[in-house]
Amino acid sequence: MHVSATLEATSLYKVFGRRPNRAVERLRGGADREELRAEGTTAAVIDASFTVEPGQIFVVMGLSGSGKSTLLRMLNGLLEPTAGQVRFDGQDLTALSDRELRQVRSRKISMVFQHFALFPHRSVRENAAYGLEVQGVPRAERARRADEALALCGLAGWEKSWPDELSGGMQQRVGLARALATDADLLLMDESFSALDPLIRRDMQDQLLELQQKLKKTIVFITHDLNEAMRLGDRIAVMRDGRIVQNGTAQDILLRPENDYVASFTQDVDRSRVLTAGELMETSVTGDAPGCHCETATPDTPFTELCAISARLSHPVSVVDKEGKLVGIVPRQRLVGFLGDEQDATPQPCDSPRDKGAEKVTARA
Amino acid sequence: MPRIQLGSWVNDGVDWLTTHMAWLFDFCKTVFLGLYDGINAVLQAPEPLLLAGIFAVIAFWLRGTLAGVLTFAGFAFIDSLELWENAMITLALVLVATVIALVISLPVGIWAARSDRVSSLVRPVLDFMQTLPAMIYLIPAILFFGTGAPAGIVATLIFALAPGVRMTELGIRQVDKELVEAAEAFGTSPRNTLLRVQLPLALPTVMAGVNQVIMLGLSMAAIAGMVGTGGLGGDVNEAIGQLNVGLGSEAGVAIVILAIYLDRMTSALGTQVSPLGRRAAAKLRAAQGLKIWSYRPRPAVAVIGVVVLALTAGGMGVLGGGKTGGEAVADGKDIGQGKKITIGYIPWDEGVASTFLWKEILEQRGYEVEAKQFDAGPLYTSLSQGDVDFQTDAWLPTTHAQYWKKYGKQLDDLGAWYDKTSLELTVPAYMKGIDSLADLKGKASEFGGKITGIESSAGEMALLKSKVLKEYGLDKEYKVVDSSTPAMLAELKRAYAQKKPIVTTLWSPHWAYNDYDLKKLKDPKGAWGEGDGVHSLSRKGFADDDPTVAGWLKKFEMSEKQLTSLEAEINEAGKGSQQDAVRAWLKQNPDVVDKLAPVRNSGGGTPAEAKQPLDVAWFPWDEDIAVTYLWKNVLERRGYQLNLKQMDVGPVYTGLASGDLDLNFDAWLPYAQKNYWDKNKDRLEDLGTWYEPTSLEIAVPSYVKGVDSLEDLKGKSSTFKGKIIGIEPGTGEMDLLKNKVLPGYGLDKEYEVVDGSTPAMLAELKRAYAKKEPIAVSLWSPHWAYSDYELTKLKDPKKAFGEGNTIRTISNEKFPGEYPQLTKWIKNFRMSEEELGSLESEIKDRGQGHEEEAVADWLRQHPDMVRRMTPQ
Repeated sequence: MHVSATLEATSLYKVFGRRPNRAVERLRGGADREELRAEGTTAAVIDASFTVEPGQIFVVMGLSGSGKSTLLRMLNGLLEPTAGQVRFDGQDLTALSDRELRQVRSRKISMVFQHFALFPHRSVRENAAYGLEVQGVPRAERARRADEALALCGLAGWEKSWPDELSGGMQQRVGLARALATDADLLLMDESFSALDPLIRRDMQDQLLELQQKLKKTIVFITHDLNEAMRLGDRIAVMRDGRIVQNGTAQDILLRPENDYVASFTQDVDRSRVLTAGELMETSVTGDAPGCHCETATPDTPFTELCAISARLSHPVSVVDKEGKLVGIVPRQRLVGFLGDEQDATPQPCDSPRDKGAEKVTARA
Repeated sequence: MPRIQLGSWVNDGVDWLTTHMAWLFDFCKTVFLGLYDGINAVLQAPEPLLLAGIFAVIAFWLRGTLAGVLTFAGFAFIDSLELWENAMITLALVLVATVIALVISLPVGIWAARSDRVSSLVRPVLDFMQTLPAMIYLIPAILFFGTGAPAGIVATLIFALAPGVRMTELGIRQVDKELVEAAEAFGTSPRNTLLRVQLPLALPTVMAGVNQVIMLGLSMAAIAGMVGTGGLGGDVNEAIGQLNVGLGSEAGVAIVILAIYLDRMTSALGTQVSPLGRRAAAKLRAAQGLKIWSYRPRPAVAVIGVVVLALTAGGMGVLGGGKTGGEAVADGKDIGQGKKITIGYIPWDEGVASTFLWKEILEQRGYEVEAKQFDAGPLYTSLSQGDVDFQTDAWLPTTHAQYWKKYGKQLDDLGAWYDKTSLELTVPAYMKGIDSLADLKGKASEFGGKITGIESSAGEMALLKSKVLKEYGLDKEYKVVDSSTPAMLAELKRAYAQKKPIVTTLWSPHWAYNDYDLKKLKDPKGAWGEGDGVHSLSRKGFADDDPTVAGWLKKFEMSEKQLTSLEAEINEAGKGSQQDAVRAWLKQNPDVVDKLAPVRNSGGGTPAEAKQPLDVAWFPWDEDIAVTYLWKNVLERRGYQLNLKQMDVGPVYTGLASGDLDLNFDAWLPYAQKNYWDKNKDRLEDLGTWYEPTSLEIAVPSYVKGVDSLEDLKGKSSTFKGKIIGIEPGTGEMDLLKNKVLPGYGLDKEYEVVDGSTPAMLAELKRAYAKKEPIAVSLWSPHWAYSDYELTKLKDPKKAFGEGNTIRTISNEKFPGEYPQLTKWIKNFRMSEEELGSLESEIKDRGQGHEEEAVADWLRQHPDMVRRMTPQ
């Protein structure tokens, strides 16, 4: 299998307006974004550093105006960083000439857009083949590879259609096929599914994950939708006002928000989709094997499945690793507590005797 | 507030441009004129209905059956209105202006779309060009480009450029930013982004711009009629001038038909050209299904249709007497009709020059000419045997005496065309103090004791050695170096370039005199003897076989300047391209062909000056139409050629002053056109009065009782609503009226003079007359309004209007020198009121477009007129 390369951004700045370099100096010196805005310069991205490992999906999440699109465009040089470095595949993109940069863009990096950006005057096949055409691939090979990419995205048979004859989801598949056709290692996706209906968006997310299983590209995905970020992202960077405020896994973001801003973000997230037994279990109880032969869970068991297991058992669910060792337990109380955002609460005793038995069961576990 | 002298700055600027940038304007003029002439020739060549057919097929292809049928009907309609020729002129004008406008506006538009700075620079310039009143740049256009098509094209161009630039810029800027970004994200270069993404997507908008350019061009073409571009604009102008709503609407409808056709075709072309448009159209068709009226043939079918029609058009032109066709000889000049003529020549400079000159001239006159090169002996032999028709390089009586003795009986001498040949020694002009052969004495050291000679066998060398040097006592001092003509010339060139002393044997005519500044050494003792004349000789009987060519050859003459410049041109072009050199030379000497081979030679009485066509400007006023067409008829009988150009007063004076026009027969002087005259009088000539008296006056309809004199107007302002309807502000009559007449009668407080135009005044008069409303208009006599309406000329007891004008003929300043005979005729020309009146009414009866027939008829009734006007 093809192995993609690492993408590394170090201390990227992008400032729009007059005397951008001076503004960077001031930002480094601790100046505030608002101060600069008063002077008419806009700091869109401030000191952004991250590394995307080969084959990873790196999601940048933030509200509009947080600088995520600007950040993305610096990665393929559509925007020139005011300061900082972008390294991809060992190459410093910020040091390249325009011509070299165009070479890199046509061969190594491709992009999928929010509003598809299909060329209305080209057929579906010609659209998918666009990147190859820029590379100068001969016509016949171009058509073959474009058709392959289209088939990969589930569009076999639509090659001769025109973009305006397709639904939004299909159009974005063409956009995806266009990006995949060039065999680029790095895929930049700019809110690529935001303009789609929720159902179709889910489909597309599934398809992307499925494709990623096969292709193992390095993907930077921009979104403002935390659910999407959680679903897709191997790592998630949350941006606010031009800065990356937290960079971590979905669970990190959800369970260990860096600050109130991130926490407020995660408030509405459907945790049941993200949490797994590994996140939930109490690790105070461990052992070589579970105490009974009842059904067990693994650390990867998703929350919903865990609930189902818990419902079938009369005691907390044991979590075992691959070797069958007990790594923790999940009491039912804890499941309910996570859903209600009351993770470490101890149940209060009840004054009605009817419920005492239940308490005893919990206590005995 | 100080007065900012913008006006005088502009005047200075225009003056500066006229003097210093003439080369640029000449270049533009040549380009414009070449394009225009080419397109016009193509459009005028085929039968109107065939061309209409071609237009219809194009419409059929681009828009469908209905459009094709309507196109054919529309153009056939134009043809039936007898406006075909003018419509094609207008079409050619618009097409040329459009092409040039696009060549300029597309790149500018693209540039503006890519750079905000350029965009913000270009925008005010476009605003300026689009809103500046056309007349303001029409007049400078005449100054720069002369009257006629180029000025019209420039005016049209200036006006039509803006939408092209704007729409191109808009189209490109409108392209979705995300698409451009997508192109960039895949590594497309800026150039390819423009070509593959931006332009294809901007195309519908750009084509809308093209469409606008054409539409504006067409509307401007009507205005350009004022500067003599002719075409439908001229018709409209003429009709307006005469208040002839009928003709005006005919020409107007023709313009509209052209406009609709061009509009629909370009918008359809826009659909065809842009991929998106094509798809939309295909969808629409699929939805509609196949219908006869919207059926469109495939491009191949359309192309075949156009080609077949075009071939038919070309074929008919050829079969119809070889008159039309692309490169065929111009109508009426095809004297030779393909007749074969063989010219023999000796490869001497003047022989080559004159032979290829005649080859070109005769070919232009429809002959098929072969030029054969000979040595002197064989040439005379062939000529005597009749293998060659004529030769132009016989040096008689001396040099070729032996040949003439031998073959003279079988030859005809058509006379000398160059009689100043001479043999001489020559030094460069920088050799001071050496002007005559005698001056060479004692200067041998300066020249190294050498005289650079030519072939030792040449008669000149023999003469030099045996006679000339001895006569002046130079034979001891100088050695004549035998060499060859080319070597001598090379030596001369080298010495001349280094300003070294040199003396060479040379002869006249020779191109060296044209290329270098040389002195022929005087021969006070006559040692070289009398010079030969260069004669044209023909085979016996050639004059009977082809009297026309023989006649031309008999009158053939060239000046030394002409001959040497032609030789130099040929010499520069090199062997094999002699005829191209002749063509180039003829371009610089445009009247030579008509002078040497006159076409309209209707008898013996053609003065030499008649060869150059006359540009006569006329106003669409009755007396001018009458007198101009009268002169046209009479002068064409005398072999002159007149190009009539209809124009406005201002442009006529400007055109005359710049030398671009020759004549105008309708100058109202000294008052009515005083302003124009004063401004240009240094460069104009007054050729005298042909009609008087005229008068300026205020006129009221005769149903307005009790108003017979200007004094009667006093206190009646309420009757006339305080208004006197005037004509164009700035004319002599208006100035007189405002500054002198009204104050003179104390009317200036009561009445306001309404500035307008002559057509507007006449329209107002017509309206008021029909309703019997009181009206006072400024008018003049003679004027047809007096015959159409019953009007009272208000008496002018105080003579405030002054003495009447007379109608004069004016010309440019060079005219009397160039046309002495015609000047004399014009100066003696008079017309009586009866004559002018009857001619005007004849023309009016015949109707527009039949002026020439009317004049011909009138001349039959006035048989002495031709002789009176042009006594011989």
